[in-house]
Amino acid sequence: MPRLIIDEREIEVPEGTKVIDAAERLGIVIPRFCYHEALGSVGACRMCAVKFVQGPFKGVQMSCMVDARDGMVVSTTDEEVVGFRKRVIELLMKNHPLDCPVCDEGGQCLLQDETVSGGHGLRRFPGPKRTYRDQYLGPYIKHEMNRCIHCYRCSRFYQEFCGYYDLGPMQIGDRLYFGRFSDGALESPFSGNLVDICPTGVYTDKTARFKLRRWDLQRAPSLCNLCSLGCNTVANGHYRGVMRIEARFSSEVNGYFLCDAGRFGFSYANGAEGARARPLSPAIAGAPASASAALDRAREALNDIAAKFGPGAIAVAGSGRNSLETQSMLDLVCKKRGWSGPVLFPTPSVRRKTLEAVKGLDSRIAVSMGDIEKSDFVIIAGADPLNEAPMSALALRQAARNGAPVVTIDSRPVALPCGFDHFPAAPRDIERYLAALVVKAVESEAAGFGKDAEAFYRHLKEVHENFEPPLGLARLCELLRESKRPVILCGTDAIPESTPAFVSGCARLLGLAGKKAGLFYLLPGAGSFGAAQLCGTEDKTFFEILEDIEQGLVRALVVAECDPFHDYPDRARLESALSKLELLVAIDYFDSQAVGCASIFYPASTIFETRSTYINQEGRVQVAERVHCGGAPIRGGNHPPRIYSGLVPGGDHLPAWKALGQIAGLIGADEASAQTFLPPALCPGEGKRVPMAKAGFPETPGFAGGSDGKAALNGDLFDLLTVEWMFGTSEFSVWSDSLDAAVSPPLMSINSKDAARIGLCDGDRVSVELEAGAFEIAVSVSDKTAEGVLVVPRHKELEWRKMKDFSVSVAADKVRKIGAK
Amino acid sequence: MLPDELKNKLRKMIAGAESPREKAIDVMFEIQELQGWMSDEAMVEAAELLGMTPLQLEELATFYDYIYRSPVGKYVIKVCDSTVCWLEGHQRVVDYICSRLGIPLGGTTADGLFTLLPVCCIGYCDRAPAMVINKRVFGELTTEKIDRVLAQLAQTADFSGWE
Repeated sequence: MPRLIIDEREIEVPEGTKVIDAAERLGIVIPRFCYHEALGSVGACRMCAVKFVQGPFKGVQMSCMVDARDGMVVSTTDEEVVGFRKRVIELLMKNHPLDCPVCDEGGQCLLQDETVSGGHGLRRFPGPKRTYRDQYLGPYIKHEMNRCIHCYRCSRFYQEFCGYYDLGPMQIGDRLYFGRFSDGALESPFSGNLVDICPTGVYTDKTARFKLRRWDLQRAPSLCNLCSLGCNTVANGHYRGVMRIEARFSSEVNGYFLCDAGRFGFSYANGAEGARARPLSPAIAGAPASASAALDRAREALNDIAAKFGPGAIAVAGSGRNSLETQSMLDLVCKKRGWSGPVLFPTPSVRRKTLEAVKGLDSRIAVSMGDIEKSDFVIIAGADPLNEAPMSALALRQAARNGAPVVTIDSRPVALPCGFDHFPAAPRDIERYLAALVVKAVESEAAGFGKDAEAFYRHLKEVHENFEPPLGLARLCELLRESKRPVILCGTDAIPESTPAFVSGCARLLGLAGKKAGLFYLLPGAGSFGAAQLCGTEDKTFFEILEDIEQGLVRALVVAECDPFHDYPDRARLESALSKLELLVAIDYFDSQAVGCASIFYPASTIFETRSTYINQEGRVQVAERVHCGGAPIRGGNHPPRIYSGLVPGGDHLPAWKALGQIAGLIGADEASAQTFLPPALCPGEGKRVPMAKAGFPETPGFAGGSDGKAALNGDLFDLLTVEWMFGTSEFSVWSDSLDAAVSPPLMSINSKDAARIGLCDGDRVSVELEAGAFEIAVSVSDKTAEGVLVVPRHKELEWRKMKDFSVSVAADKVRKIGAK
Repeated sequence: MLPDELKNKLRKMIAGAESPREKAIDVMFEIQELQGWMSDEAMVEAAELLGMTPLQLEELATFYDYIYRSPVGKYVIKVCDSTVCWLEGHQRVVDYICSRLGIPLGGTTADGLFTLLPVCCIGYCDRAPAMVINKRVFGELTTEKIDRVLAQLAQTADFSGWE
């Protein structure tokens, strides 16, 4: 480990550390534009010059290009080098417009900071400045090329780091232009990071344009709760609204970046006038009520039901949106009051898959996204990373850039921003493909596995017996055998219930074969890990609650941050069951359909308005701090009411757990802390992983169905699967109008052979007839979709809830063509 | 739209390469040979043939002097503006051609015959000042020599008789 001296202070850094990073460890931030830790060095901007006083070489050098070495003595303050940097910044500023007062970057601009700190205060250059025509880059990014200082960060991030090739450098010399071939929305779903990564205002956040200055913002470390990854963010509040989300560095989780869904999907949190305004006022029977009246009324009404029918006639439901605090309170309420539940999953199948995944996540093999980037072989089994957890796709790309082969086994036509081998496999075949890969890779080591592992190994061999491995699999088996740090990424959506445990077993086997194997699950929601821990041992989900309502066992339902109209797959049954209820109490921050038909509604705080804990899919406990109080927005619409009181207009919301605790009579209005009732086992400290019990190999190893995989191909039945899309399927997509622009219309994926067999072409519109009615959708034909399946997104524009379940069988003659492209 | 004949030729050319990308410049030259310049439509079609995005091809096209992204005349006159030619009177040459043809640097004559552009060193320093017209190089330029070359090209569309 090299030791060097920077500005008269000594530091020891790991081999390969650049001098610029070594200095940063000492708290010395050397000015830079082109250098970014995630992108590496190019030495283009010449801003990070330092003087090497002693050591292997001397003189002025770029600190981003030089590895720290023993005996180096570096000065960042030497007169020569300060003068050098001053001239560099002056040259970089030669063409930069003096538009800081009207530039959105003003006040948070690296170029501004370094111009001032570099000592270039007055312009000497009187000539005309170079100007460009800006491009339209879509709904999220505003382009302003005149401000560019040609550091190449944007194109290196966009192309090298993310793997999208519609934005880049064109022309040469001082005509150099960063943009697209022609005007149009950026194709990358990670384009929002351009705002963070550009050292000046070439790319600014269009959604926040002209609305704010950095110093006016209420900023706090927050989390993204749009998927289960729990990416770290900085949320910016202003005038009671959330104005902008920025990425917050986390070496284990999201690195420096965020996906566009997470960055721009916050507008649901802002109360505003409009069709999808966030409800801010408590309501009784649909009419606005005071906060205390709504809570009192709910408590009384629930007490009445408990007195009449017993406390078990009250059921409580949460969802994958809940924070750990809310889930713990749901649990506590049921324990203390004897209410039914809590149910935190819509159907038994979703519950079992999530539970199996959480159980399979042995601490020894659980890996983070940071670990995925360093892996040397990635298998994706039954998951669509880009759609289910976008940032994980970016981690996969980094692994692929480091040379890791990436293999996907899934029924969907998976797309990833890196090269990969895709094996289209219907859900029931996923385990078979995985078995074929793993068996070959571990067979030479199989003798010394021990009893349980050998049993599982034998099972793997049975699973892929009679299975003809597709072309290319043998080569991948060989690569997997040679790998040292393989990772299996497993979804919990379009897969059989047995797969999560099966995958865990496979990862363990790879571990026993001498590899540092890793396991990474994707879960349904930000709160799913906590839900799996707190959903109790009873196999109870919303499905069973519906049965209880139908049988008259449950008379009242409390939904906390849970909209069964969105979550539950059988709309008709849900509606008829809910109509039988005597009381529906809703606590939520969405103006959901459940809120619309609730007898009593209490507004819940969003993640931005209360301190909340989430456990991400790898079991990492993270906290989102309170950003602001929220409430009726000052910006836009009418001025909030001019009433003299200490209350914030529209501030009558409580964290769901507080509202719930008060409704249940467990806590008073002044209860402030959730710490008292959070389960200690789930609170190992912020940023740490929940210590997981070491689960063994699956006892009755999975492989549900046990078909030979060929049965359905010649038959008339399709498996109709529903899946997530990055935009358009989640509740946040439904309630954030800021995401509307990114939503594309729903498409049903079908394999080309299947399409030919039933006479469909790409782009045709079909009607899919189900028992409960039909839905219409356009068809996307692809070889990459597995044979025998039809895949539809749980899209907000699609009445998929006529399916009655998340996946059903459909006869081929029920898919009728109703129109051509 | 590129003619099918050309497209087939390009496809063959690309198929022969180890990776399609390495033929990007050649493909653009072929198209220019036929159409004189690379239109937006030609860029999109060429990118598709090469399996690149139009932006990736644009990055290359706009990097190189000899790929034209706007229409040029039949003869593209490129006057060297590097050190030796500059010392030997590059500016005089440019000024003379500008006034003779009535176009600014970068302009094209109304008859579509000549376009005037600057070019980096073409290695003709020993015979500076120099210029290139299409693929022919002309050194030791004088106003008389320029007159003769341009007059001949305007009348006969023929390079014969020059070195």
